[in-house]
Amino acid sequence: MTELFAGTTVLEFGAGAAGPVATRYFADHGATVIRIESRQRPDFLRTLRLTPGSPGGLDGAHHFAVLNANKLSVALNLSRPEGVAVARRLALWADAVAENFAPGAMAKWNLDYAALVKERADLVMISTCLNGQTGPERHYPGFGGQGSALAGFNHLTGWPDREPVGPFGTITDSLSPRFAALLLASALLHRGRTGEGQHIDLSQVEGGIVCLTESMIGYAANGDILTRMGNRSAYEAPHGVFPCAGSDRWIAIVVHDDDDWHRLVRALGDPAWAADTRLATTAGRLERVDEIERRLAEWTRDQTPDAVAERLQSAGVEAAPVEDFADLHADPQLAHRTHFRPVEHAVLGRHPVEAHAMRFSAMEPRFHSAAPRLGEHTEHVLRQLLGMPDGEFERLRAAGIFE
Amino acid sequence: MTSPHGNLDATRVLDLTREPGFFAGKLLGDLGADVVKIEPPAGDPARRRPPFWGDATDPERAIVWLALNTSKRGITLDLERPRGRDLFLDLAARADVVLETAPIRGLGWQDLRARNRRLVHCAITPFGETGPRAGWRGSDLTVSAASGNLYSTGDPDRAPVRCTLPVSYYHGGIEAAVGIVFGLLARERTGEGQHVDVALQEAMVMPNIGTAAMYAMTGNRGSRAGAFMRQEKSVAREIWPCKDGFVSFALRGGAARIPGLAAMVRWMGEHGMASPKLQAIDWKGYNHNLLTQAEVDELSREFGAFFMTKTMSELYRAACERNLMLAPINTAREITASAQLASRGFFVDVDDAGRGRLRYPGAFARSTATPIGIRRPAPRLGEHTAEVLGELGLGAGELERLRAEGVV
Repeated sequence: MTELFAGTTVLEFGAGAAGPVATRYFADHGATVIRIESRQRPDFLRTLRLTPGSPGGLDGAHHFAVLNANKLSVALNLSRPEGVAVARRLALWADAVAENFAPGAMAKWNLDYAALVKERADLVMISTCLNGQTGPERHYPGFGGQGSALAGFNHLTGWPDREPVGPFGTITDSLSPRFAALLLASALLHRGRTGEGQHIDLSQVEGGIVCLTESMIGYAANGDILTRMGNRSAYEAPHGVFPCAGSDRWIAIVVHDDDDWHRLVRALGDPAWAADTRLATTAGRLERVDEIERRLAEWTRDQTPDAVAERLQSAGVEAAPVEDFADLHADPQLAHRTHFRPVEHAVLGRHPVEAHAMRFSAMEPRFHSAAPRLGEHTEHVLRQLLGMPDGEFERLRAAGIFE
Repeated sequence: MTSPHGNLDATRVLDLTREPGFFAGKLLGDLGADVVKIEPPAGDPARRRPPFWGDATDPERAIVWLALNTSKRGITLDLERPRGRDLFLDLAARADVVLETAPIRGLGWQDLRARNRRLVHCAITPFGETGPRAGWRGSDLTVSAASGNLYSTGDPDRAPVRCTLPVSYYHGGIEAAVGIVFGLLARERTGEGQHVDVALQEAMVMPNIGTAAMYAMTGNRGSRAGAFMRQEKSVAREIWPCKDGFVSFALRGGAARIPGLAAMVRWMGEHGMASPKLQAIDWKGYNHNLLTQAEVDELSREFGAFFMTKTMSELYRAACERNLMLAPINTAREITASAQLASRGFFVDVDDAGRGRLRYPGAFARSTATPIGIRRPAPRLGEHTAEVLGELGLGAGELERLRAEGVV
């Protein structure tokens, strides 16, 4: 088929990952995703490592580049009424609007759902922020690091005798774009069937808490507070990460049940310590997990992660190497799925961006362009797509609205 | 105006998944789809896993089952028996979506598609359905290991470490739900369903938020810094002990964070806990990347001493009032007591005549037009078998025979 979202336009306001990663799902499948940006307040990902000598300035940021491929950028000065008026025309023309500003920012410009829906009854719009659009703590300022702590992920990650650490990558910033893509897609499906639009309020903290329902209802049911426990499981053993040959190289090994244990023991060459019949049951292994982990570490220590993984997997035991970011580029399975896709960037040259984790039998994601330079498509979008008359475009340009 | 159903109204989903797929089906149900969970007659293994609600080992009270199977009806069906397989084929012929986490011989995508061209079929597997590691076994720890995400999580002097709950199943579950809705949208245009292959390993690469792709430009393989954050010339604490737990607070600069640093020092000053030197800092020119380790340590001593005089809730209240970028490291207890969540009516009591009432996190988002959130309690074993098979036209007598034969 032609691309799923060919002819669909998504207008995006915001910065960072939580909003912009969501719209990539649509861009990769053919949508025209237009970012509204400004030089006065650029996306912080464009300035993260910016110094006066950075090649390309605002257009040369790695982090922005890897998250914003396949999109168009329109520069609009939203501190000027004429800039806001253009943003408004785009919002009413687009098929969907996504924004992740602090609550109240869109209303300040009269670009919030309540204002826009008066002129477009079937508007589909999503707003996502840390604590949601309502409530006493809606204006609490924060990035994903705070979201992860508030939602409960940090407390659950790390070693029981140490401080909590939180999963790498501020997890609410990666869960939220997925939730947002699901919500936006389902809202488009609903509008296609019924003609009805909607505004969606996605609180990144709430979405994270829903993921951790197991912890929340465990507390509601029994008063139990789930906590971090290293890599161990409360109901399976061994379940851990073990050192391998080399510097900072590791292997993850999981034994789900007693059959797995017997396969592991065979793969280890039936060592005497493992013959103890008390280790043949999960209860027995959980009781002596310290000793089992020590023995396994002795065995893995002189081997490479790949060698242990191949050996155990071929024996039917679950194991996988701990891969760092370099390893991912050599991972045969990610290569098979062409996870990394090259794009050609105006400043950075050829670099990889990432595909999502889904592959379809009847459609393909397409990676046709690198992340846009700030305002790269202002003229194209306003004149060609929106149909702004030449005179008006030139007048607004001269007035500095496209900055 | 709110329509009674949801964005996925009139979408029939058959959910064959084990634990890694539970969340995907729940999300579709929360959006209004009619999700039917299909279990073997002995019940899903998750029903036997502790902890349970209460003291007894009871398959109707396993926390993991109750947590992730709300908004679903439940039936039992023995897919090893010909009659069970026939019934599944009949259900799949009328379904919009089939969701699985392990292939069932003779009941795969091609078999089902032959009877229902409109079917959207999704498989969630550890590494994907094809490729050199497609045959590898995997669960949360191993797929996270192979994603780059585990490597950079934890303390530098210990092994990489995971979250106690299986984050990859949540990521993969939402990804699968996105793929399924994309499949449904495509079907609106073409009239045909398709297959969606979701890999948990690959789903866990995205949580690195672009740093995996950036390696090609930065050469950064990742690293673990524990409760700290690496800066250009130093490491600085991010997770701090306080009076009754921990809080997250960064000494980093940048336009968004500097006002919070200055406001924190003002608040410390009100308690007489900011030295003249600290109060004299001109935050406008502050750049954490220029600080030496000795300078970071000196700053940290003052902030750290102040945090030890306050509870998580005192610190968070001040953060909301004074715009400090500080967050408590919440446990289930603090989350349950949150004023913000209470004001949004986030928690819902899920009532079940057989088991009682339990308080759940409610909607993962809210919509002005369609309800999102828990539709019904997690099903008891076989709770809706008669109802669902009745919709296929099976009468009470036939159902009795299936029961006697052990098919349901």
